[in-house]
Amino acid sequence: MLKAINLTKNYNGATALDDLNLNINAGEVFCLLGANGAGKTTTINLFLDFIAPDGGKALIKGFDVAEQPLETKKYLAYIPEQVNLYKNLSGLENLEYFSALAGQDRYTKEDLLGFFDEVGLRREAAENRVSTYSKGMRQKVGIAIALAKRAEALLLDEPTSGLDPKASNEFSELLKKLSGRGCAVLMATHDLFRAKESGTRVGIMRHGRLITELSTDEIGHADLERIYLENMRN
Amino acid sequence: MIYKIAHKEFIETLRDRRFFVAALIVGGLLLVSLALGWQHSRQIERQHEAAAEMTRKQWLSQGEKAPHSAAHYGVYAFKPQMPLAFVDRGVEAYTGVAVWLEAHKQNDFRYRSAADQTALARFGELTAATVLQILLPLLIILLAFNAFAGERESGTLRQVLSLGVSAKNLAFGKVLGLTGVLALLLVPAVLIGAVALMLNGDEAGEPFNAARFALLVIGYLLYLSVFVFVSLAVSARASSSRFALLVLLGFWITSCLIVPRAATDIARRIYPTASALEFAAQMENDIKNGTDGHNPSDKRLADLKNEAMQQYGVSRLEDLPVNFDGIALQAGEDFGNQVFDEHYGNLWNQFERQDKVRQLAAVLAPQLAASSLSRGLAGTDFAQHRDFAIAAENHRRLLIRTINEDTMKNARYGDTKYVASANLWEKVPEFQYAAPETAAILKKQSGGILVLFGWFVVSILLMIWATARMRV
Amino acid sequence: MLIHIIKNEWRNLRADKTLWLVAGLFAVSVAYAMFNGLAWTNFQRQTIAEAAAEDSERYDALKKQIVEYERSAPEKLSRFSDPRDPAAAGRNIGQKYAAMSPAPLASLSIGQSDLLPYYFKISTRSQQTFTANDELENPTNLLAGRFDVAFVVIYLLPLLILVLSYNFLSGEREAGTLPMLLAQPISLRSVVLGKIALRFAVVTVLALGFHPLVFFLIGGGKLLTAEGALLGAVLWAAAIVAYIAFWFALAIAVNAFNWKSATNAIALAAVWLLFVILIPSLTGVLVTSVYPVPSRVEMIGAMRDASSDASARGSQILAKYTEDHPELVQGEYDPNDAAARTYAVQETVDREVQPILAIYDEQLQKQQNLANNLRFLSPAMVMQEALNDISGTGNARYRHFLAQVKIFHAEWQNYFIPRVFQKARVTAATYDAAPRFVWQEENSPAVARRVLFGLLGIIAFTLAAAAFGFSAIRRYSAIGG
Ligand SMILES: Nc1ncnc2c1ncn2[C@@H]1O[C@H](COP(=O)(O)OP(=O)(O)OP(=O)(O)O)[C@@H](O)[C@H]1O
Ligand SMILES: [Mg+2]
Repeated sequence: MLKAINLTKNYNGATALDDLNLNINAGEVFCLLGANGAGKTTTINLFLDFIAPDGGKALIKGFDVAEQPLETKKYLAYIPEQVNLYKNLSGLENLEYFSALAGQDRYTKEDLLGFFDEVGLRREAAENRVSTYSKGMRQKVGIAIALAKRAEALLLDEPTSGLDPKASNEFSELLKKLSGRGCAVLMATHDLFRAKESGTRVGIMRHGRLITELSTDEIGHADLERIYLENMRN
Repeated sequence: MIYKIAHKEFIETLRDRRFFVAALIVGGLLLVSLALGWQHSRQIERQHEAAAEMTRKQWLSQGEKAPHSAAHYGVYAFKPQMPLAFVDRGVEAYTGVAVWLEAHKQNDFRYRSAADQTALARFGELTAATVLQILLPLLIILLAFNAFAGERESGTLRQVLSLGVSAKNLAFGKVLGLTGVLALLLVPAVLIGAVALMLNGDEAGEPFNAARFALLVIGYLLYLSVFVFVSLAVSARASSSRFALLVLLGFWITSCLIVPRAATDIARRIYPTASALEFAAQMENDIKNGTDGHNPSDKRLADLKNEAMQQYGVSRLEDLPVNFDGIALQAGEDFGNQVFDEHYGNLWNQFERQDKVRQLAAVLAPQLAASSLSRGLAGTDFAQHRDFAIAAENHRRLLIRTINEDTMKNARYGDTKYVASANLWEKVPEFQYAAPETAAILKKQSGGILVLFGWFVVSILLMIWATARMRV
Repeated sequence: MLIHIIKNEWRNLRADKTLWLVAGLFAVSVAYAMFNGLAWTNFQRQTIAEAAAEDSERYDALKKQIVEYERSAPEKLSRFSDPRDPAAAGRNIGQKYAAMSPAPLASLSIGQSDLLPYYFKISTRSQQTFTANDELENPTNLLAGRFDVAFVVIYLLPLLILVLSYNFLSGEREAGTLPMLLAQPISLRSVVLGKIALRFAVVTVLALGFHPLVFFLIGGGKLLTAEGALLGAVLWAAAIVAYIAFWFALAIAVNAFNWKSATNAIALAAVWLLFVILIPSLTGVLVTSVYPVPSRVEMIGAMRDASSDASARGSQILAKYTEDHPELVQGEYDPNDAAARTYAVQETVDREVQPILAIYDEQLQKQQNLANNLRFLSPAMVMQEALNDISGTGNARYRHFLAQVKIFHAEWQNYFIPRVFQKARVTAATYDAAPRFVWQEENSPAVARRVLFGLLGIIAFTLAAAAFGFSAIRRYSAIGG
């Protein structure tokens, strides 16, 4: 579903992403770990066509992102660290707008409220302006957008940073639900615990290279931290 | 402390490439407009001097001629250029350049130079006054809108305040820094202006000009500092630098664009004036039928005859020791003059009231106060045009009276062939005009000065208030 | 897709106080400007009506006087006020007004109409004796300019557009919604198109919405049937739409630069200043320095010289004149006829000063031509010219008026001057048959061509800015920097 082939990105001569190869299938949750500046956000931006690669390519459902950006965006949803919405509109109006842009413009109000239920947002809140929402609520609207869009791939950039443990936990549950429906998920995070909990695979990046790839089934929480720190050291 | 802050602001602004470009453009325009204004002034001055000489020559070389026909020939009075007109041309383009001084009639000024230009002139002339009143405030806004809001957004404001710097010191430091930057533009302009003024002519008396020039500079400094203080105040209180910029641009547009025009139309509505047609008809009517409508001209003439004959104790006009035609002509003049004084007086008072409305509207728009003061000091406002028009009219009256007195003394009654000798014309002195004293101008401008000063004080207080409650 | 963007944009704009604030201010400005324009044209119309009334009253009185004087003339009657004297009739008491009444849309743009005369009192004297007939006006008012609809359109409408669109992209990026938006299968260009299309619609409705009302106010319904009025209204709308498009195209171009909102605002304010204030006034300086019109004081001196010189040779000139115009005198002439001499002298003076007067017209015409060519440097200049043309308050219609006055003046002279030479008594019939000035409106297709040609300039600017904007926007980054 999500595939990177020799993906490379330079910023003014400095390599931000170096020859990345990655393949994430439907139903998989791939967690990208790595220090600040390792190249996680760069990877996600390349999949979104927000930046152009200097080498290699990013594929979504077999389509090259750089060549067919509009086609690939039909299948993916994006949840950044900070889901920013139109402040002066209600959560419902935001959801309606984004899903309409994604081509899903036939939802009734009841359908849309259904997505709010699904991500655990109170229906009363749906009619309020987004400027009154907490961060957790906005991240949930982000998931609702992904649900409404029927996204097949999900790109998440530190979606739970700054969330309280309960909200963070709820967010992971939603992720599991999505991957259960066959969604391929690429999530950049610093939260080893969450990575182990909700990921099916983790990849550790350093200086733009993917240096280790593990399956979460094979290791425990403590192992993950140990492996991570080892990789950071050498 | 204040000095340190000022120094930092100064250096920072100078290093900003955007400021550099903007300042270069504004400074360049200021110098260009001064040069153009000076050249224009000199040219007009030369033309008018030559014309005044010519009209005098024409008057003197009339030879032997019937005096009344000379009175109809008359002379022209040309508006002289005021020494400071190169800074602010004021209403010059809209007043007409010359007035014909002839018998029986007070004429209007003719030939507005704006009518000899394309409609482009209505976008405004490029003069030093335009640059100082319109462009410099904009430059100040661009320099200052970020002063607090920008530092807040980049986080340095908290840093600086956490070091124990008081908000007031910070504000005055910034004022000082900005002043330094602006001085780089203004000091050369003032020096060049002063030199131009000195070159501009010696006849109008140096010390008098120097004082006016100094007042003009002070007036503009007051005006520009209003924009400095208001900009800093808004920057201190605005939620973002973007919002500060929008508010300040709004203030600028209101002050420089909207209120001046809106006030003009309101002034016309509150103090309307008659059409030229109506105005002329009313004067004609008053002259024909008397100001009260019960004193028609033939009756006035009959009364005059009786009066004259009684005075000299004769029963026939032919027996009068003076020529009655001359008396009648002069009486007609005297009566007309009363009518003119009344009508032109009312009209011009109405114009001045309109100008007062504009001065009052300066409460909303400092530009109106500055422009009024600037025109006043440059000698190019309506009040001084009026002063010149009155002087010219008085000269007309003197001229006509001199001529009528010649008829009274030297012509025989009923002699339509009488010609005056060629040296009569010299008895009419050449028209000389002395512009009003600076004190008189300041008195006329007192309303505007007061408002400008008010803006100055209020904007300082506003800045102190706003910085004391600055958002951090 | 576009429709969703537009709909959402409308929701956003509607929820923002800015739109209502600026729309309200704009509406008030237009209404106030309309009010001022109407007051001015009413004033002009009323003055022209008063002049016409004065004309016909005076003529009635003159005719009555003739009857009276034929019965018994007063003993001491001055030649200058005898209604039966052809010189007095054509020169003093029988003068007639020639007026240019305001065009149907004159209230919208006061233009040059407050500066240039709109009626003359025609006599047999030289033309320049009656063409310096200025309306009374406080010069400070003329300097300040009027708050008319053209002012609102040229100066304020761009500001309205800039306030609504200076941050249409940068704002989304700063609020962080742009990445969310661009993660959807839509191109940035459609986003731009949708956002601008909506704003364009809003501003156009706002700017043109008042006009039906305005047209009704001016014409009370009659307007659209007046000659050339409907065409004028269409041109007026077209000019405004082109001008709006231009400013939006600029907003796109500036937003394409990836700058912060505050920087965009500064850039757009600077562009506004450049186009609306600096370029026009610099062009004005250029035009007047390339083709300077000499001060009228020189003309005054020259004319006086010519006239005193000619008066001195009066009898000689009269003799020559009658020789050249035998049809006027039929054989012999009266060398002592002062009235005849006046016209002979006048004709000579007119001929002599003609080259001097021509300089003024020529220089002004050259200025106008240069200004016409240079107006393409700034859409604001094109607009000023176009709006004045449509409203009939520009220099073009005034020149059209002067040309007609010139013809009428010649007619007038040809009617009265031969009578002076022939000493023909003026009767009531003479007054009745005297030439009348009938105003011929400017040819409206010609005006339309002039206006449309100007608008092409604005459209070229618009296309250039929009093309630049849309191509530069390819490099626009969703994530900043
Ligand atoms: N616009 C840019 N211009 C120049 N360099 C950039 C830019 N964006 C990212 N980089 C560089 O690319 C490298 C990778 O950055 P990236 O944002 O992908 O890191 P990251 O792994 O997401 O870090 P973090 O955990 O802090 O989010 C860093 O060295 C960063 O400095
Ligand atoms: Mg990152």
